[in-house]
Amino acid sequence: MSNQKARTYEGDSDIKVENPDMIICRCEEITLEEILQAIREGAGSVNEVKRRTRAGMGLCQGRSCGRLVRKIIAEHTGAKAGRILPGTFRPPVRPMSLKTMAELEVDDE
Amino acid sequence: MMSKGADVVVIGGGIIGSCCAYYLVKEGLKVALVERGEICGEASKTCQGHLFLWELPEINIILAKASKKLYRQISEEIETDIELRNTGSMSIAESPQGLETLKQTIKELQRAGVECELLDGKEFVKREPSIMPEIAGGGYFPEDGQLNPLLATTGIAQAAKKMGAELLTETEVTGIELSADKSAVKAVMTNKGKIETKRVVNAAGAWSGQIGEMVGINIPVVPRKGNLMVVENVPDNFINCKIILASGYLDSLKGDKKVAVAANVQQTKEGNLLLGSSREFAGFDKEVNPEVISQIAAGCIKYFPALAGLNTIRSWAGLRPYSPDMLPIISDSRIEGFYVASGHEGVGITMGPITGKLITQIISGQKTDLPVEQLSVNRFAENKK
Repeated sequence: MSNQKARTYEGDSDIKVENPDMIICRCEEITLEEILQAIREGAGSVNEVKRRTRAGMGLCQGRSCGRLVRKIIAEHTGAKAGRILPGTFRPPVRPMSLKTMAELEVDDE
Repeated sequence: MMSKGADVVVIGGGIIGSCCAYYLVKEGLKVALVERGEICGEASKTCQGHLFLWELPEINIILAKASKKLYRQISEEIETDIELRNTGSMSIAESPQGLETLKQTIKELQRAGVECELLDGKEFVKREPSIMPEIAGGGYFPEDGQLNPLLATTGIAQAAKKMGAELLTETEVTGIELSADKSAVKAVMTNKGKIETKRVVNAAGAWSGQIGEMVGINIPVVPRKGNLMVVENVPDNFINCKIILASGYLDSLKGDKKVAVAANVQQTKEGNLLLGSSREFAGFDKEVNPEVISQIAAGCIKYFPALAGLNTIRSWAGLRPYSPDMLPIISDSRIEGFYVASGHEGVGITMGPITGKLITQIISGQKTDLPVEQLSVNRFAENKK
């Protein structure tokens, strides 16, 4: 397997995601069934699933569940595996105290 | 799968376009909503969901009140729970001078029919024990409310679809075909094909000026960026009133500065805190401005010192559609069949339903619920009929 492929969720394809009560997003406790419901209502991307269900909105910002969500969307929309892109990542990279944020020194380049 | 024709094409899948599609399809019209990206993919997904019922001038207050009533109806009509709730809002007056200014504003607002109450420092601290104890006082606005803008926008669009509207996402408008004498709309051209239609609603938000250019209508709406951040879940009693705005919030709306920051803290139904807000003219740039985010954090910590130890998990920015006279545009135009629903800036979420309803009444030739003359696009140069 190429490194390229190993980094995509296709590498996880042996994980079975079948139990509707299975928690997919652990931070927000969103189940498989909730994600499937969003897909049935027309969500076809990680961001659209997030807006409807909160999957990926928690402390880890989808770093744990993101690949699984992509896999579920691909399986249930018939989209080609690589077509489902990761959700949008925004700063900060990890949770950051507001005190640190308030004292941020910004370089004017 | 491209629509061959529609009674009305709505351009834009934000709260305004979704509400227009919702009321138009309820009126029995064949509606196609065309969205360049995803439903709820721009300003509507980047806001706080505050239903703001005291933005002057008075016409804004009238529109906002009517809109809040419509949200109440919509939340009963559609399947999605939009997390609508009456929260009220509070405004902080830091100094005695600030309190004096607020007193004048409150008088003006009361004349305009807004319920509001002036609080002294002691009363404010009693209601909000987490606030810095030195404040001079503040205002309380019991009519304000809150909803989840992501669920509201996607839920309303979804409901429109269930009633028969077509949602054409990932579809970009490339031109609008007019009649030979350029007096009427004939079709909307997109990157996925042509849709025959006699009516177009331009609900393209910060991009509505570009759609106006396609037919020669001057829509002087420009993007005004807002930066926000979200903080981890906190207990429900961190703030009792779920929307607390810094003094100077109303001043920050005035468009005379390149960047204006007014701290505000809002708590969502899920328990996260949303910290805002800023108003910045930076073209179509949607990148988070770290300097502004840092100022927002500092401003919020000043008012709520306990915030210092909490974590922020995400920051983002979006583009509000700023109208130079601070009024939305809800109207027809000199081109027959070309309608405009834009320029709401910070009150797009607040005014979504009333905008959709008014546009529907204008299009179907009914008497409008509210007078709309001063909201016409004809108020701008070059647009006279």
